[in-house]
Amino acid sequence: MKPSPFEYCQPKTIEEAFAALNHEDAKIIAGGQSLVPMMNFRLVQPGRLVDINSLPGLGEIVLDGGTIRIGSLVRHAEAARHDLMRNHLPIIAEAMAHVAHVAIRNRGTIGGSLVHADPSAEWPLLVTLLDGQIEIAGPEGLRHAAPEEFFVAPLVTTIEDDEILVAVRLPILSPGTGMAFTEIAQRAGDFAVVAAAATVLMDRGVIAEVRLALGGAGDVPVRLFEVEAALAGQRPEAIDSITPGCADGLEPNEDMHATAEYRRSLIPVLARRALEAAVLRAGATR
Amino acid sequence: MNDAAIPKDIRSAPAPETSRPKYIGERVQRLEDPRLLTGTGRYTADIRFDRMVHLAFVRSDQAHARILGIDTDDAATFPGVIAVLTAQDFSEIPDLVAPSRMKNYHPTHCPVLARDTVRYVGEPVAVVVASDRYLAEDAANAVVVDYEPLGASSDPAAALLGDAVLLHDEVPGNLVLERSFATGDAGSAIAGAAHVVEGRFRLRRKSPMAMEPRAYVADYDRGRDALTLYGATQIPGVVRDELAKLLDIAGNRIRVIAPDVGGGFGGKGSLYPEEIIVAALARRLARPVKYVSDRLEDLTSTSQGFDEYVEARLAFDDDGMFIALEAEVIGDIGAYSIYPWTAALEPVQVASFLPGPYKTPHYRGRVRGVCTPKPPTGPYRGVGRPMAVFALERLVDMAAQKLDMDRAEIRRRNMVQPDEFPHRIGSGIIWNHSGFTECLDAAVKAVDYAGFKARQIAAREQGRWIGLGIGSYAELTGIGSRIAVAPGMPINTGNETATVRIDATGAVIATFATASHGQSLETTLAQIVAEELGVRPQDVQIVQGDTGMTAHGTGTYASRSAVIGGGAAIITTRALLKKVKRVAGRLFDVDPDRVETGDGEIYVPGTNHRIGFDELARAVYSDMATLPLAARETLESQENYDPVLGTTTSSTHIAEVEIDPETLSIRLTRFVVAEDCGRMINPQVVDGQVHGGVVQGIGVALLEELEFDATGQLLSASLADYLIPTSAESPHIEVIHLETVLPDNPGGFRGMGEGGTIGAPAAIANAVADALAHLGIGISELPITPSKLHRLIAAKNLTKDRE
Repeated sequence: MKPSPFEYCQPKTIEEAFAALNHEDAKIIAGGQSLVPMMNFRLVQPGRLVDINSLPGLGEIVLDGGTIRIGSLVRHAEAARHDLMRNHLPIIAEAMAHVAHVAIRNRGTIGGSLVHADPSAEWPLLVTLLDGQIEIAGPEGLRHAAPEEFFVAPLVTTIEDDEILVAVRLPILSPGTGMAFTEIAQRAGDFAVVAAAATVLMDRGVIAEVRLALGGAGDVPVRLFEVEAALAGQRPEAIDSITPGCADGLEPNEDMHATAEYRRSLIPVLARRALEAAVLRAGATR
Repeated sequence: MNDAAIPKDIRSAPAPETSRPKYIGERVQRLEDPRLLTGTGRYTADIRFDRMVHLAFVRSDQAHARILGIDTDDAATFPGVIAVLTAQDFSEIPDLVAPSRMKNYHPTHCPVLARDTVRYVGEPVAVVVASDRYLAEDAANAVVVDYEPLGASSDPAAALLGDAVLLHDEVPGNLVLERSFATGDAGSAIAGAAHVVEGRFRLRRKSPMAMEPRAYVADYDRGRDALTLYGATQIPGVVRDELAKLLDIAGNRIRVIAPDVGGGFGGKGSLYPEEIIVAALARRLARPVKYVSDRLEDLTSTSQGFDEYVEARLAFDDDGMFIALEAEVIGDIGAYSIYPWTAALEPVQVASFLPGPYKTPHYRGRVRGVCTPKPPTGPYRGVGRPMAVFALERLVDMAAQKLDMDRAEIRRRNMVQPDEFPHRIGSGIIWNHSGFTECLDAAVKAVDYAGFKARQIAAREQGRWIGLGIGSYAELTGIGSRIAVAPGMPINTGNETATVRIDATGAVIATFATASHGQSLETTLAQIVAEELGVRPQDVQIVQGDTGMTAHGTGTYASRSAVIGGGAAIITTRALLKKVKRVAGRLFDVDPDRVETGDGEIYVPGTNHRIGFDELARAVYSDMATLPLAARETLESQENYDPVLGTTTSSTHIAEVEIDPETLSIRLTRFVVAEDCGRMINPQVVDGQVHGGVVQGIGVALLEELEFDATGQLLSASLADYLIPTSAESPHIEVIHLETVLPDNPGGFRGMGEGGTIGAPAAIANAVADALAHLGIGISELPITPSKLHRLIAAKNLTKDRE
């Protein structure tokens, strides 16, 4: 379990980074929490590692109009404890508690999690839930991708080999929005078998705005737009009767730890629990 | 008693000077901890020598295949490569063969590198010697092996069928071993019994998964023709003796040292091809050679454990009294019968321990060990008993359910009662007196067992599923030379020799052939020597795991070191104390019997005679004037201890679980262990062993599973898929210690290092079954996971719908 030989470079500017990436099998390394184990197994054998940790401006969390812009080098642990997140998106801290273990949360980056695109991982699910925008820099300039354009399949995204994910933008939701994240994993810190996340804004006892997304329910994280539409304008009691249909049309994967049927059975349960918790929290803040 | 009740003269009197401090039974802080916890331990991987070379093994990616050719030419040209070697380069080393006097046993021949055939994915096929491990792996990747797949069933039942592909020519029908046990006539007794329960039980294959993977470093001193092998092993003595034979070196030219070892759990308890190659190459190249296995190699080439099917039935009368037990055990032993234990070790013990702590007049058990194209199985904490206890304790619960009888009561009724010891069970094992019923009663009391039913009903009304499960067992520990740890095995595991010496500075050194790899023996053996000699534990240096420093012995495994090593420590230290007293008597000019020792001082109570051990040592070794020549004793003793038979350890585990009815997540909410390990040397160490064992049992019950596909490829080949329990999955574990009757050995100790893993799987399985009782679901395979529960419930619902 030693990696095959590779070159290593540490560009100081994004232009240097693009130049370094102009190599037949270059790979970006940030936190290295998924890449290095894969290199040790020799499942990935990059000829050149481009370490982007020294690039300026990728490690910040800033308020930018109605969105929070999170640099791709921000570590999971930093995101969880940042005041902007705590004040505006407490669901981030709630979700981060499920990301592996402390050492990995201290080292692993948000950009790394997004480009790794594990269908059960927390960040892809959060960005899908919150209609986040993924900011990608390339030699031709900056582009933005919505999660449904970005995530293609397990471990596959639309980012090109010469591009760098530089940030993700998450919207600040209406004051009083309740948010909740829940997942079932084999052990504390494992990738979720199924995860669900929801945001709910209540207005005079009915659900005014709602978002619901799932991880581990298919090849990529999914937004349940139809369920959201069915819930809008309803009293919270409707959650009970609407969520049983959450798994309709979804095709969860099967692996040695969970059958597709078991995953399917978890979907309505976790969707309901996430929605109910979000309703409770919405109630509490309004 | 209030103060006034004590006579004044006693209250004011100083403590009698003869009360030597007692260390046995005290929570002495672990003496190895300052070293191990501050990163100053020295493990095999930490050992470096000048001119050292590194090995990487090319391992088979096929389960069963003929090797048509190995192309090493390209690899040999890689930078840093010194040699690329295959089986033909080691033709002088005999195959590893684990012999046994057992009837119906066919040993396998395991070459150090696969010769013509590979028999499991992960089997070493070639080895690269290079200047560092990275370069060695690069070159190993470039070795091309041409295989012709031979097929073979990875399912042991299919491997027994007449037309199955044979894995070894010398093993007819893939049946490595077959053995039967019988007392009475189980068949007729079952046929005539009022009630019978039966089941087909299975434990999935496990990896011992020590934190430190296996590692070896060999250093050859050409001038002295002396070879030293440092290895992460539990059995340095066994390795030394066998290496001498395999490499044709005199025993006095080879020394095996187990430095700090980071856990074993049985996985470092066998002799491996890699350590033979490391040793052989150091001599051949006259350079130090190092090999540290990585986690993937640990998962595929360290011995595995517990892969059995047990089909069993239990017959009983209307009062719940057991009449007969019958079992068919099939053990999937993997590709080779491992040295020195043989493949009989694990599955035979399933059948021999199956009757458990109960009186069952008729027993018939048959065990068959079948070879399959998977890594070899070997010792694993608990050996055989986790499977035996799981199967039997499930049957006991099923019997109680059938009679609507209390689960604790049916156990109490059938257990060997305190006045019935010694008791011979149907397989021939003899239980000596241990607290069978006492442990059951203590555990039941601790969990408010009587109130549980009401709690369970109330919880169900709230839509919560909770369950309680009992796992009771007895085991043999500290096994002496009359009973082999494995049947028919040609090495004696039943004795231990201690050497205790006071050196010229008065320091105490005690050497043992044990090899602590987490058992705290540096502390517990020091406590024993300290108490017996009259010094402080921190003043005793324990030297072990080094064949060059210790008397003959085998190592640490099978819950033997406290009983046998501790027994040897007591006998030897007492012999040394006699010498100390004789010398001191001479120095003080008093009768040696009047001399006392304690806390490092030698004195005569009621006098001003008082010296330190350093002064005694000076008088003996250095000062030629004080003692006449004849009185200068050698301040060293060496004695052997062999308990001849074994001692019985017993325990009851009780687990409580809560299962989420919607997600089927299983949470352990409570765990209680009541155990009788005789006299405790250090309760903190006992607690630690119980806690660790139970956590390993949680892995057995709920998480750990080496999954292979039909062609023998390992699917759970990383720690992302082979799930070991962490602190988050471990409940608070309550331990109740009972000392009912002390066993008849020098210290009154019983072995207890494995017990946690023996009782926990059964208790957890019974708790899960209890939580699901209203659904009519039983548990017959471990680990049980939420996804598997989902399948069981879905199958049950389907059956119900059909009805």
